[in-house]
Amino acid sequence: MVSYLPQSLSEALELLASTGAIPYGGGTDLMVEGKNDASYLFLHKIPELGVIAGDADYIRIGASCTFTRVADHPLCPGILKEAILQIAAPAIRNLGTIGGNIGNGSPKADSALIFFVTGSRLRLVSKRGERIIPIKDFYLGRRSLDLRPGELIAEVLIPKMGYDRYYYRKVGARDALAISRLSFAGIIKTQGDRIVNLATAFGAVSDVIIRREDIDAMLIGKTLAEAKTVRDNYLAAYAEAIVPIRGRVSEKYRKRVCMNLLRDFLDTMNI
Amino acid sequence: MKPETVLNADVRFTLNGKAVAWLGSPAAPLLDVLREGFGNTGVKCGCREGECGACAVILDGELVNSCMVAAGRASGAEIVTIEGYKNTPGFEILDRAFAGAGAVQCGFCTPGMILAAACILRNNPHPTTEEVRKGISGNLCRCTGYNAIVTAILAAAGEGEGKW
Ligand SMILES: Cc1cc2nc3c(=O)[nH]c(=O)nc-3n(C[C@H](O)[C@H](O)[C@H](O)COP(=O)(O)OP(=O)(O)OC[C@H]3O[C@@H](n4cnc5c(N)ncnc54)[C@H](O)[C@@H]3O)c2cc1C
Ligand code: FES
Ligand code: FES
Repeated sequence: MVSYLPQSLSEALELLASTGAIPYGGGTDLMVEGKNDASYLFLHKIPELGVIAGDADYIRIGASCTFTRVADHPLCPGILKEAILQIAAPAIRNLGTIGGNIGNGSPKADSALIFFVTGSRLRLVSKRGERIIPIKDFYLGRRSLDLRPGELIAEVLIPKMGYDRYYYRKVGARDALAISRLSFAGIIKTQGDRIVNLATAFGAVSDVIIRREDIDAMLIGKTLAEAKTVRDNYLAAYAEAIVPIRGRVSEKYRKRVCMNLLRDFLDTMNI
Repeated sequence: MKPETVLNADVRFTLNGKAVAWLGSPAAPLLDVLREGFGNTGVKCGCREGECGACAVILDGELVNSCMVAAGRASGAEIVTIEGYKNTPGFEILDRAFAGAGAVQCGFCTPGMILAAACILRNNPHPTTEEVRKGISGNLCRCTGYNAIVTAILAAAGEGEGKW
């Protein structure tokens, strides 16, 4: 089978539309499938997909940036670097890309968790044009993505504001190389005593990363003291919202870990 | 379409300083290409899942697991395997340090371990114990329990200033 090594984004989109070749970021998910006769569209030579830059509102990370590059880049937020440095080991992080982590559609994807909690957006491009959507809307269900035929993930747009303090935990079987059994991220921004932004996300629990803006809204706009008074209701709402899928580790155990992490996040943030 | 865009059973790259062409599938794992296509049997196959690091090689200066790289991804790249790294001053130092610390038992992990060590020291000539452990965290060793390997890499760091 023929593979392709496009040198520009327009060439890649043309090939994607006409050949049906499989987009290949770092290959660390694709190669596990071991299809020797696959037709790949290698993305690493496309300059437009390898850029990390900031504008007024967002830090923009190109889809084919590797984990190593993101972890080394001064513009990338601390919460993202912390999560990325816990992914696998250097020889995987030197290959694996942001676009592949999102494109695999897994609720275990560790960088995707950070994009959920920070309310990041995706820029999707095709021959016909581009669209920018919240990452939450991109995940439709179990391994099902809102990626249309002929479309590539071009960039992640991470808001610059809203997460002065963060909390990240990955509970895995082993330190390096373990695909996270469970992960949690929480962010908060306060002005004086008042919570102006708060968000949480749970990874590897359900079919899709769990992000419940409606529940987090219970705490936003309140002072820390006021937030404490609704803490129990907030926890109860999450206790209902978190429905783990069946997996190797018992659902009960995973739910308990989720709730413990959520409580620890609130404690740490003085709520 | 520009000719370099289509990879059809002709992937050119540099292997240990020599220009080579792979005439098989561009989707084949670089691991197999290096071992079977080019006889670089120092590249070991332990898992084919990216988990063990026995197949590690250096691709454009960075450590990668060759079972996780499709041949076409190496097009135009410079690949260094243990066969090529053997002829460097850095290898001599690491080889001596590994032998001195008793860091080689069955030897299966050793080629990947040496290349991982070379990449650690190239980026950071004076690593801490913790940094060495992180740097080799993707290289599994069933025999040594890692302490001897860490000791060897730290010893090589002391000796090898400027050689990486
Ligand atoms: C040993 C090992 C350990 C791992 N540990 C972790 C871990 O701890 N945490 C974690 O999150 N992951 C882990 N992974 C999984 C993997 O490394 C990541 O998901 C990585 O981000 C995949 O990126 P990639 O570029 O290698 O993906 P690829 O394999 O290149 O692609 C993955 C999917 O995304 C699609 N795709 C890629 N780029 C684009 C694009 N620009 N537009 C549209 N579709 C695209 C591909 O077609 C494919 O379907 C591990 C993998 C291995 C082998
Ligand atoms: S064989 Fe490649 S990492 Fe194990
Ligand atoms: S020496 Fe045997 S696996 Fe490391």
